[in-house]
Amino acid sequence: MTLEPADIPLLEVKNLGLRYLSASSPAPILHDVSFELGRGEILGIIGESGAGKSTLGNAIIGLLAPEFQRTTGTIQFDGKAVGAADDSGSSNVRGRRISAIFQDHTASLDPLMSVGAQLEETILATNETLSRRDARARALELMARVGIPEPDRRYRDYPHQFSGGQRQRVVIAIALAGSPDIIIADEPTSALDATVQKQILGLLRNLVEETHVSIILVTHDMGVISEIADRVLVMRNGRVVEQGVTSTILEAPRNAYTRGLLAAVPRLRISKPVPEKKTGRARTAPSSDCDHKSPTVTAEGVSKAFSPQGLHWRPHQGTIGFALRDVNIQIARGAITGIVGESGSGKTTIGRIVAGLDTAPAGKVTIGDNAFDVSQNGRRTGLLGRVQMIFQDPAVSLNPRMTIAETLRESIRFGAGLAPGEERPDMMAMMDRLGLARSLGDRHPHQLSGGQKQRVAIARALLARPEIVIADEPTSALDVSVQAEIVQLLKESITERNISMIFISHDLALVQDLCSAVYIFRDGRVEDSGPSDFIFSQSRNPYTRSLIDARPHRFTH
Amino acid sequence: MKAEIIRVLGKPPYGPTLTLSKIVLAAYVLLALAAPAIAPQNPYDPLQIYGWEASSPPGTTGSGGYIYLLGTDGLGRDIVSSILYGLRISLLVSITSAAIAALIGLTAGVSAAYFGKWVDVAIMRLVDLQLSLPTILVALIAIVTLGPGIDRIILALIIAQWATYARVVRGVALSETGKSYIDAARLMRLPTSRIIFRHLLPNSIAPAVTLIPIEVGHAVALEATLSFLGLGVPIDKPSLGATVANGFQYLLTGQYWISLFPGLALVGLIASINLVGEDVRRRLDPRSRSI
Amino acid sequence: MALISVAMGRLSQAFLLLLVMSVIGFIGIHSVGNPVFNVVNIETATPEDIQRATIALGLDQPVWRQYLLFIGNVVTGNFGTSYIYHLPAFGLVMSKLPATLELASIAMLVAAPVGTVLGLLAGRRNGTLLDRTILKTSVFALSIPSFWLSMMLILLGAILTGWFPSGGRGSTASLLGQEWSFLTWNGLWHLTLPALALAIPNIALIARLARSGTIEVESLDFTRFCRAKGLSSRRILFRHTLPNISVPIVTVIGLQFGGMLAFAVVVESIFAWPGIGKLLIDSIQLLDRPVVMATLTFISVAFVALNALVDLFYAVLDPRVRLSA
Repeated sequence: MTLEPADIPLLEVKNLGLRYLSASSPAPILHDVSFELGRGEILGIIGESGAGKSTLGNAIIGLLAPEFQRTTGTIQFDGKAVGAADDSGSSNVRGRRISAIFQDHTASLDPLMSVGAQLEETILATNETLSRRDARARALELMARVGIPEPDRRYRDYPHQFSGGQRQRVVIAIALAGSPDIIIADEPTSALDATVQKQILGLLRNLVEETHVSIILVTHDMGVISEIADRVLVMRNGRVVEQGVTSTILEAPRNAYTRGLLAAVPRLRISKPVPEKKTGRARTAPSSDCDHKSPTVTAEGVSKAFSPQGLHWRPHQGTIGFALRDVNIQIARGAITGIVGESGSGKTTIGRIVAGLDTAPAGKVTIGDNAFDVSQNGRRTGLLGRVQMIFQDPAVSLNPRMTIAETLRESIRFGAGLAPGEERPDMMAMMDRLGLARSLGDRHPHQLSGGQKQRVAIARALLARPEIVIADEPTSALDVSVQAEIVQLLKESITERNISMIFISHDLALVQDLCSAVYIFRDGRVEDSGPSDFIFSQSRNPYTRSLIDARPHRFTH
Repeated sequence: MKAEIIRVLGKPPYGPTLTLSKIVLAAYVLLALAAPAIAPQNPYDPLQIYGWEASSPPGTTGSGGYIYLLGTDGLGRDIVSSILYGLRISLLVSITSAAIAALIGLTAGVSAAYFGKWVDVAIMRLVDLQLSLPTILVALIAIVTLGPGIDRIILALIIAQWATYARVVRGVALSETGKSYIDAARLMRLPTSRIIFRHLLPNSIAPAVTLIPIEVGHAVALEATLSFLGLGVPIDKPSLGATVANGFQYLLTGQYWISLFPGLALVGLIASINLVGEDVRRRLDPRSRSI
Repeated sequence: MALISVAMGRLSQAFLLLLVMSVIGFIGIHSVGNPVFNVVNIETATPEDIQRATIALGLDQPVWRQYLLFIGNVVTGNFGTSYIYHLPAFGLVMSKLPATLELASIAMLVAAPVGTVLGLLAGRRNGTLLDRTILKTSVFALSIPSFWLSMMLILLGAILTGWFPSGGRGSTASLLGQEWSFLTWNGLWHLTLPALALAIPNIALIARLARSGTIEVESLDFTRFCRAKGLSSRRILFRHTLPNISVPIVTVIGLQFGGMLAFAVVVESIFAWPGIGKLLIDSIQLLDRPVVMATLTFISVAFVALNALVDLFYAVLDPRVRLSA
């Protein structure tokens, strides 16, 4: 296998151009894409949504819909040409020599067939000579290989009985079943939590080292690329803008777009020495205001059980039954406090309780001098409305049937309590401040981009003149290049109004960048907390350490 | 990209058919409105009917001085006139019942979603029960209990149809309540009435309103079926369905025109309402549009 | 756990339905005049006769007690005696049931495979002329009222061509103590048109469902993954696509079988097929209330029972429901 002559690449894509034949006009999707892939190599393809990276991956494995038409170029696999569109010629290559891993591990597996059977059928389809017994033995071996504990016991289990990380391991095992030369992995870890993501990437790296399989890794995440890719292909609008060895691209990008992508990645700093020396950080953590002895918000002893309704078949990991257990937090006046946790850690729930949107059977929230019983309806106790929120998905956080101006005016009238007719100056000033063209006022949300909608959501929250703002993953639904702008804008507009903010996120680097204090949530409890500098540099909490270690090292200084 | 593909492939397969059905539907409505002016005969007026000309084949010239274009029925009534007058009854019954059913269903659905708790349980129990049975069965039970008459059949159709609206509206209102724009509105401390009328209702109402034309189509078919079974409109004021039923016995003896032509008119009406209704739904419902 | 809650939900629904039907029936019987005169002759009866009959029927009791008595009767299947046939109403319905079951079963045996195959074909050739033809035809077939379809079948299949009889059940043969048409050639000959009238809308419905199911399943990641892992398209169709679309199709087959019991009312009265549907319409016209209530209640409860069966079957087919904690 490894005796292949070095000068013939395993895969060679030359001047590939594709277009999509829509009813109205044929739209070009890829232009003049060329690259090579060697044996045992991991090639990362990075780009934002619409860059054409997934289409390229599908073209190589021959899974494009018939509406896609190749206009120029060739795809050569092992010296032979393969077709881009879905035809029977590629099915010899498919599975046996090139296989694939998709992003959504839940949708990748047939829900009605046990994972063992799915693995077995793939083995039989790619090796006709094998007997059923041998296929089963090989399936068990593969399950063990990708790190599924007790494969004998799990063989007859159905996909929904596995956790997300384990399902993706099963998908990898299936992709390996035909002993392929190339695996095309399309966003293989984006649907997973950071710690699990780290393990899956490690598994892929090991597989490459042990079996000399080549991997084409399609992703939007620079962190993933930096973690395991040998070489990188940067794509934008269907063109390759830059390619080269990963370390070169990361350290000395030549193309402006690549530089922009890299600059947009938040970096985690782990600096052991005292942090006062750092310049430029004083702005993000105004140290004088950030006095933990005069908190503006506290939550004490908040506990909440999972609501029994809802038929989520997703297996609950860790503790079952409690969304929050005896949570205590303090938010410093005029500062930004981060709440970090993986999905299901309770970080959103505590935010909604502090805002008065949800109730909890036990606990107390204090804002300024007023204490609120959170077991009561927030509207009744007066807690509701003291805090404004910026929500994760701007697509559903604006009323689709109201214009932008109507939404903002409502905030000024009801949130800030101004008389009708007096809203205009406030609204115009805020739109100017947040970089929203005044003409957008007459539009409806669906006519705005994601970034614009999130600016409107920030404007709405600030126009209500709150003392505290809670931002719940405000950037995770946006493209990377937009994320940085929104975070910057949010930070500036909060600090210049001296508003306190709770920033809820799963992204450690972002939180470190913004927040002066951090709470780490896990399974509904506060696992670790303290000043940001302490947490990221000196915390000895093993969970905090594992979260920090799960970050790609190159983006950790 | 994916949205683009689905948009192209999911395009309605009927372009010219749709235009045609819009014209046909408009014609039906106009004919129904103008029936007393343009019909050669008033089939409800015994003085205008010549009993000895019963079962005349199409093209016969009658004593009234006009030609029976589509023939006469077993009582001597002109089929063309029967169709025009029957159309009036069919449309009156179905549009009235669909509109009232929509009003009741909307109110019930939003109430269930907004008030929750026992109101929700009570309304939705009834809705689930009704929707677990075929509509025609519910209509049969209702009409058997209520007895015959135009007002009774309208009532029976309302009973048979309100639940569909209620379930649709409640489902949409519930999912809208879970979206963060409602949370944002709550955070502004808007009055509850403003949240409901300014935010919740406008976003929940569209799917129910777009159901109305389709449900009118169902109501026409349902009314026709009940009338055909002799359970609907009174015999002296026949709807299209009842006119078809009157001719059924003659079909077996070869006098096909008595029920064939009213039946074709009926099928054309239902088909054009359905096609236009589907189109209205596609256009107005942002959910089906954005797919 | 999930199974039990599903079953309990359906069971409570069935009871609610019986309750509603009993109220309707109770009101119905009392709203058409004194039921005593259904038993005694209104012209010749002496006051003593009427008095005796009133006591015998329990009509001297307070209204709530009469209702309780009535509800007890409904639950035990005692709907009283037919005014016309002087037989127990429920027994009368049961005696007509085989004819209806036979008709509905034959219709579904035709509709299910034909509809599934047409839908699969259309779904796999999505967007082609074949697909558009199947889709258009099914939209049209579903908008034709059942009675009109039946009449056109009679006009085409019986009157104009003379190939099939226009009504009646034909000769029957005995099996399991019941008479069945499908066991004789003459009976099958009589069965054809009414069975088609019931089957055609269901073919259209199942085809549409199978079509959209096929398109949906084939656009899912796992079928793409199946192709990526090198499975043949035959295997994907039979081992992955078909099992996945069969879940909704089996559901709709179950529900539509119940629906056929309701539409049998129309089809049977047009084709003079002596089943419970024709019995219902005849009884309505003859004001035979006990039989009307017995028939409607039976059809409704049978429908809810079928729903329950479908739910259970759904749970068995889908491991996500079956194995949920």
